[in-house]
Amino acid sequence: MEQMDIEKDLQTKGLILNMGPQHPATHGVLRLMLHLDGETVVKCTPYVGYLHRGTEKLCENRTYISALPLMDRLDYISSMANDVGYCVAVERLFGIEPPDRAKYIRTMMCEMTRISSHILWLATHALDMGAMSVFLHSFREREWLLDLFEMITGARLTVSYPRIGGVRCDVNREFLESLYKFTEEFPKRIEEYETLIDQNRIWLQRTKGIGVISARDAINCGLTGPTLRGSGVSYDVRKHEPYDAYDQVDFEVPVGKNGDVYDRYRCRMEELRQSNRIIRQCIKKMPDGPILADNSPELDMPAEGHRKLIPEMSLSHACISLSDECESIAPAGEFYSAVEVPKGELGFYILSDGSGKPYRMRLRSPSFVHASALPRLCRGHMVADVIALIGTIDIVLGECDR
Amino acid sequence: MTLRDAAKKIFFLEILKGLALTFRTMINRPVTRRYPKVKREPFMGFRGRHAFVRDPGTGREKCVACLKCSIVCPSQCIRIEYKETEERRVLEKYEIEALRCVFCGYCAEVCPVCALVLTEVYEYADYTREQFLFDRERLLKNWDDFSSGLKTGAYFNKFWRLSGIDINRMPVGKRLQQSVQVKQKEFLSKESFDKGRAA
Repeated sequence: MEQMDIEKDLQTKGLILNMGPQHPATHGVLRLMLHLDGETVVKCTPYVGYLHRGTEKLCENRTYISALPLMDRLDYISSMANDVGYCVAVERLFGIEPPDRAKYIRTMMCEMTRISSHILWLATHALDMGAMSVFLHSFREREWLLDLFEMITGARLTVSYPRIGGVRCDVNREFLESLYKFTEEFPKRIEEYETLIDQNRIWLQRTKGIGVISARDAINCGLTGPTLRGSGVSYDVRKHEPYDAYDQVDFEVPVGKNGDVYDRYRCRMEELRQSNRIIRQCIKKMPDGPILADNSPELDMPAEGHRKLIPEMSLSHACISLSDECESIAPAGEFYSAVEVPKGELGFYILSDGSGKPYRMRLRSPSFVHASALPRLCRGHMVADVIALIGTIDIVLGECDR
Repeated sequence: MTLRDAAKKIFFLEILKGLALTFRTMINRPVTRRYPKVKREPFMGFRGRHAFVRDPGTGREKCVACLKCSIVCPSQCIRIEYKETEERRVLEKYEIEALRCVFCGYCAEVCPVCALVLTEVYEYADYTREQFLFDRERLLKNWDDFSSGLKTGAYFNKFWRLSGIDINRMPVGKRLQQSVQVKQKEFLSKESFDKGRAA
């Protein structure tokens, strides 16, 4: 009775808490407005756009090939996969078929990116949950991969490596040997990470049963990638609509059961192993031959249909010899193409008017869709679990805000 | 729950295993570098600070003002001014805004005479923005800075002629491009030293 009286006197009030955009655990500049009742989240509203750079609009002013470096900056920790996705989209629009060697190189590079992205995800996710040592261990392997990227592409993160109709430069033997050594070493390293957290009771308590989303809801929310596969839906663009050499390599799509944070973690860990497997197969099967299709556009592809040849030019051979009767550069029309980046399904919707620039380019970025599922995931959980949930959807704000 | 599971629970086996790994790492060789003291050697073809190749023949830049680099540049950070004489174009102004540059390397790749290069220099922080507006003289100075530190006497950038690309796709200037002969500091100093002695 006494207790009741005290509670009547206490005025309880909801609290609005702004989490981010300058919060280290929001993985960038994500702002979440949390309506709290005590420590329970009643409502969560994500605010995005703090990293908006207008990539879609910028593409309209650049030729297809000049827009490619912009794609590096979407999801800056898996830039190779974005570039490949963009190139696949433009190739399908142009009707260019890349040579076999280029396809294998791209597949290999994509999987390297997937590993480095998932490693970074694991590192930061575990760091958010208080497991510091995983972070340090996984950055060691990431460094190895970044060095390999630098060896071939000349940059560690913003690679600009794929090219419409192939890749920019060939891979050498030294690189393939080093990469093969990595693939031999890497499964042991995955086991190391798992030793640190997989059965750890703190990790289990913070991940099991948190942020459960059913397969039906996950599909309705538009989730893709490991975030969807954690709920038991075996959807993977690499399997369902193979691009590059994915139909020629053997791999499995790991799926979870319960759709909680732990299952999504398990999915990503299995994907690391599968990616490793794909890389090994690619190295073994790597065919010889050209790396760029003959009909691929030149770097200085024209933006308009007619390109004037400048006769006064002292080095006239430097000018590309596009014949004058060539009216349109790209086929006109609307076109959607999707690839599987480490985060999920990255789609490019290109509206072409026949010139060398896209009339409109729309990006379907997985991080944006996943951020929109946050309110659904956060409801009813504690504030500390929100950190786990931001981590589990593997959000990168560069891609989310574009 | 089996006995094994119970034992695991009671004795914190999974945590001990993790801790064992952490302690094992303590006696391993460190994988990190002490950066400002120990510098990382970038791979050949790393895309760093821009430079104009100083032509050993003329002592000037090789640029022919074809404007290709400024056309392909995705961030549109290259500004070129030139005037036309009867036989050729003469470069008047060449500026790269390094703060806008995205280091994609398209300019070095498209250049028909291999005049432009992204060197492997990656440490060039400065206090003012003006320091990052690379004009002609600054670009040549960048080359001198870079080439004096080279270990070999000849330099060839990867992006001038990318491996695996059909050579017929390239302009003649690129096909015939040889390694640039670089005069090195040690070599120069030795020569001047000898000269001094002779005098």
